Amino acid sequence: MTDTTGPMLVTRGLTKRFEGVVALSNLDLVVEKRAIAGLIGPNGAGKTTLFNVVTGFYAADEGEIELAGQTINRLAPHAVAALGLSRTFQNIRLFANMTALENVLVGRHLHAAFALEKTEREEDTGGESRSALASIPRRALSSVGVVWEVIATLARTPDVRLAERAAVERCLEVLAFVGLRGKHDELARNLPYGGQRRLELARALATNPRLLLLDEPTAGMNPHESQEIVGLIRSVRDDLGMTVLLIEHQMRVVMGVCEQITVLDYGEKIAEGPPEAVQRNKRVIEAYLGTRSIGIDSGAA
Amino acid sequence: MRERLRNAPLLRPVIEALSIAKERAERGYGSVPNTLRLLLLAALLIAVPFYENPLGGGVVFDDRWLSVFRLVGLYIMLGIGLNIVVGYAGLLDLGYVAFFATGAYAYALLASPASPAIDFPIEDVPWLFWAMLPIALVVGAFTGVLLGLPVLPLRGDYLAIVTLGFGEIIRLFLINKDDWTGGSQGLYGIRAPPLPDVPLLNITELKSTALTEWYLFIVVGVFLVAFCAGRLRDSRIGRAWEAIREDEDVASAMGVDIVKYKLLAFAMGAAIGSFGGTIFASFQGSAIPEDFNLLVSINVVAIVVIGGMGSTPGVVVGALILIGIPDFLRFKEASDLLGLLDPIVPFADTHNWAEDLRNNRFIVFGALLVIVMVLRPVGILPSSRRKLEFAAPVDEAAI
Repeated sequence: MTDTTGPMLVTRGLTKRFEGVVALSNLDLVVEKRAIAGLIGPNGAGKTTLFNVVTGFYAADEGEIELAGQTINRLAPHAVAALGLSRTFQNIRLFANMTALENVLVGRHLHAAFALEKTEREEDTGGESRSALASIPRRALSSVGVVWEVIATLARTPDVRLAERAAVERCLEVLAFVGLRGKHDELARNLPYGGQRRLELARALATNPRLLLLDEPTAGMNPHESQEIVGLIRSVRDDLGMTVLLIEHQMRVVMGVCEQITVLDYGEKIAEGPPEAVQRNKRVIEAYLGTRSIGIDSGAA
Repeated sequence: MRERLRNAPLLRPVIEALSIAKERAERGYGSVPNTLRLLLLAALLIAVPFYENPLGGGVVFDDRWLSVFRLVGLYIMLGIGLNIVVGYAGLLDLGYVAFFATGAYAYALLASPASPAIDFPIEDVPWLFWAMLPIALVVGAFTGVLLGLPVLPLRGDYLAIVTLGFGEIIRLFLINKDDWTGGSQGLYGIRAPPLPDVPLLNITELKSTALTEWYLFIVVGVFLVAFCAGRLRDSRIGRAWEAIREDEDVASAMGVDIVKYKLLAFAMGAAIGSFGGTIFASFQGSAIPEDFNLLVSINVVAIVVIGGMGSTPGVVVGALILIGIPDFLRFKEASDLLGLLDPIVPFADTHNWAEDLRNNRFIVFGALLVIVMVLRPVGILPSSRRKLEFAAPVDEAAI
């Protein structure tokens, strides 16, 4: 069903308009499997809009999005998440009044399920035994599943207890991975800023994504903290085998960690390539610093 | 102000001693296992109808008390049900009475001789009430989903207003669909369900056995409902609800199916409301549209808010205060108690002020509610997490 060789994320002719403002214009983007790709551009270039469109928050006006060969536009955010795409947010959006562990457990939502509620992806890897169930229309299965889940939860069946314990164990591992070992009982709101950024990362990792979208993961951090996050991002790819696409303003971070960089300006792709090439690209420099020809242009007009 | 009080030299030892005592008491209480605590509580509650008055004169809590407790218990159930929707999932539902009415009419349609739906003598089916309880749960859940569907995209105040409308629509529907519901006359003559005959309960002649049995039934019902709500809260489902309450968009990005879990919250809340409705219709002996007015919704929301959102003990306290006290004020004992204050009330000799208070109890009551909300906006017994939520408003701004 999903091909193993092709790129992880492909967008073709992706366009998104807001009341006449073109936020994304005919955007073609390819992110290879197990890559760390960067997305840069001046403020308002459409970077976060791209994230929102890809994750299903906004519907694309035109174009296609494929995740590992599977078309995902028109899917609801939770369905996109179930296919293995997770994200963090530019302005930290934790469940502020839940503990760190609970935050990550919400990320584990899709995997903390048991029996009928297993997600499609796990069915894929889980063997052929569930193929009979897969033939039933998903929606019907889901409403039967939810009734069953309520009953099992009320009875707290061994299945439920087991799934819960496994989820908690996994989440503690994820917390340790991002460097929040021992902080599981802290309320998210009480964590320091860097801890909150890490917790967001942990929550996204808990969904066990194939592709991780990071929206300014080092925003507001000092160089030392940024460097730690960069190490974490590398480890996400190298040790967990995930693909990473990140938006970032700190050039030191982008140039240091990304192998492939795409530059957006006014919703259009103006350059892409390895960091050194992008840095030298004339249009990129113009987009960031402005053109020297402004005077000439206005004179001509 | 409080800080200064705490640092006052004279008060400090007293405050320290108090805080140590409090801590010790909490630790002592905390060391009692949870199940044992619950068993003790259950035993105390179940024994309530049988407490003998040491001064003589039979039992402490007679029929009047038991019927108040019965109503309080019913409202605790409703409060717990609404708490799922409002407290856990954060969906402000002001039309909860709709589900209460659903359960009441579902039972009344089958059990009332005035019902046009049946033409066989239903009295011949003694187990009808017991059969209807699970059916009421299912019918309620279904109604919850049905009313939940159109309001799915709405948030916050808009949701509150639309659900408020639903509550009224149901009442008007019940009045106008008179070929089914008997219009504003309602469906009456519902016979009390034949509760199992337990000879043990007949220990005193001062009380009707029926009320004792009702009381015990309600206690068991409240425990059951509270248990279920607790299990739901401490599960994957409860976490999904909480995530939706905190940030709907992020929850969905983490794979939580918002539509499914919102509808599930409505369904669970509605199921409990409908369950309560069936019980209400059977002890009231009727289902009349006027019983299902806006005040019921407001009362239940007030119970949840005053008690502390998301907290079951809070709901119990809220129901005792909001439902129990107004009823208690009608008792002779209340007047007697208030009579004790006569010497210090300046106009006691010219005014029967206790009587005035009793007649205007809802006004007094409203004032009390306002005071509680001003002094304690989190509610009287908030759930531990919500307590923290309000404790650090500065941090909220920082985030």
